[in-house]
Amino acid sequence: MALLRHSSRTRKDTSGNRMWVWLMLPGTLWMTGFLIASLALVAVLAVGTTDELGNPRFGFDLSGVRALADPAYTEVLARSLGYALLTCAICLLIAYPVAYTIALHGGRYKNALIAAIVVPFFANYLVRMYGWSVVLSDDGPVLRALRAIGLADSNTKILNTGVGVVAGLVYGFVVFMIIPLYAALERLDVSLVEAGRDLYGGPFRTFFFVTLPATRQGAAAGLVLVFLPAMGDFVSAQLMGGPDQIMIGNLIQDKFFQGQNWPLGSALTMLLMLVLLVGMFGYLRRTRKDEAEVRR
Amino acid sequence: MTMVKLPAATAPARPAATSRTRRGRADRKPRILIAVTALFFALLYLPIAVVALYSFNSKKSLTVFGGFSLRWYRAFAHDDVIIASLGTSLRISLVATAGSVVLGVALALGLVRCRTRLGSLAGLVMLVPLITPEIVTGVASMLLFKGLGIALSTGTVMLAEITFSISYVTVILRSRVAALNPEVEEAAMDLGATRWQAVRLVTLPALLPAVLASAVLIFALVFDDFVLAYFTTGVDPQPLSVRIYSAIRFGVQPTINAVGTLMLAGSIALIALALFIPRLFGRRGGLDILSGE
Repeated sequence: MALLRHSSRTRKDTSGNRMWVWLMLPGTLWMTGFLIASLALVAVLAVGTTDELGNPRFGFDLSGVRALADPAYTEVLARSLGYALLTCAICLLIAYPVAYTIALHGGRYKNALIAAIVVPFFANYLVRMYGWSVVLSDDGPVLRALRAIGLADSNTKILNTGVGVVAGLVYGFVVFMIIPLYAALERLDVSLVEAGRDLYGGPFRTFFFVTLPATRQGAAAGLVLVFLPAMGDFVSAQLMGGPDQIMIGNLIQDKFFQGQNWPLGSALTMLLMLVLLVGMFGYLRRTRKDEAEVRR
Repeated sequence: MTMVKLPAATAPARPAATSRTRRGRADRKPRILIAVTALFFALLYLPIAVVALYSFNSKKSLTVFGGFSLRWYRAFAHDDVIIASLGTSLRISLVATAGSVVLGVALALGLVRCRTRLGSLAGLVMLVPLITPEIVTGVASMLLFKGLGIALSTGTVMLAEITFSISYVTVILRSRVAALNPEVEEAAMDLGATRWQAVRLVTLPALLPAVLASAVLIFALVFDDFVLAYFTTGVDPQPLSVRIYSAIRFGVQPTINAVGTLMLAGSIALIALALFIPRLFGRRGGLDILSGE
């Protein structure tokens, strides 16, 4: 029947299809023109040169790309990867219990509680980071509390250390872990957990064999959503870290604003994109495998 | 907790047993989990509270509170540079919101309804900004403008922000369009409307709450955006976020506490409004606006 109706409408449908294409066209052309073209330009400039005035020139010169092999840069890349991965792990460890508590024990305050987390996270990133740097400063409330319970002495510092940078990244992006985890935990079929308990699984065994696998996709999505911005961030390293904690984002910023070495900046940007694409690819392969397993 | 093991034959008794155990589990609140969540909330709000509190400080300190005063708000009101930046940011947000909502709504409608290869290609293009970190988008936009010989200015920030925001609008609207029943449009056409009239008179009014909510959200996101604005702005007057960035990089300026407090309050109010708008229209509001689910 659906087929019949479809064929009787064919003429109208093709004209309609044309209208949908016209609706789609401006936005798609805009994005292709601005975004895809500009990303391609970064790739082109990565193998370009600059003239005496520092203006970029197109050409084929691999000095920018070759400079990436400089230990000074590989060290920064390795550090950025380490910070970003550590941030992912810490976000997971923090977000899981929080999302779990709200989803399973939040009762009728569930929505209000999750909104209370999400809303401030979409407020100004810089102001929040600035406030966080004040909180973590040497006379700030966190270090004072840690000193009071004997977990820190007067020499302990958070700012200007790697700990500070990671703390900044976690504070900046933990919400991207909470949202997908909360969605997964809210969808979790409680009767599955109860079945686990009925079958004499202890709370820990039930958690590790029932709850955790059921929310694995939410966690994977959260890891990607945290990894992407954490890897490209430069504000946290600037506000929370010192010269020894710079990340690849700081290098890129420096090459475009202070150093004026655009080919090298473009090459660094492409390198960052490459790392992120590898991460995305791993995630997509993982979820596809998961989906195949579910189908089986 | 001891559990009665039910044989399969007594299946009808099971639902009662399940609901009892569920209530039993919910009553036994896990104290450690609640403590962790409470600590999380405390640390989440502490930085915001510190900025807000010290914006009312009579002293120029971030650790000693001298007493309540509005002097930093007064300083802000008399700071012409910051006021000019505020104006720039508002203009950018307005233009970027208008542009990206028009393009994004049209794109969402087309993406859902159009079943051609072009449609799936457009769907891919739309995803690119969502998986590209902002610093890459910022660098790329700056290079494009420089490459085209366009001097960086407030206008270039607007163009870059529109590009970045289209995807958000489309993601939010796409699920709403998909949830609409296309037969209503067909009914309008059977009653003599053209397809365009059907979209304008039937579909768009049904989408209005989601369109308004996404507009408010985009306004707040663009107003607060820093990275993209930082890479694409000209010299003067810079957007407020960029101004704040240079201020906090070069030491503490209590005026920034006042500006920051006002900005936090403004965007928190806007985002809460975006979550609440669908309810005003009697629909389920909430976080699906943010996640696009």
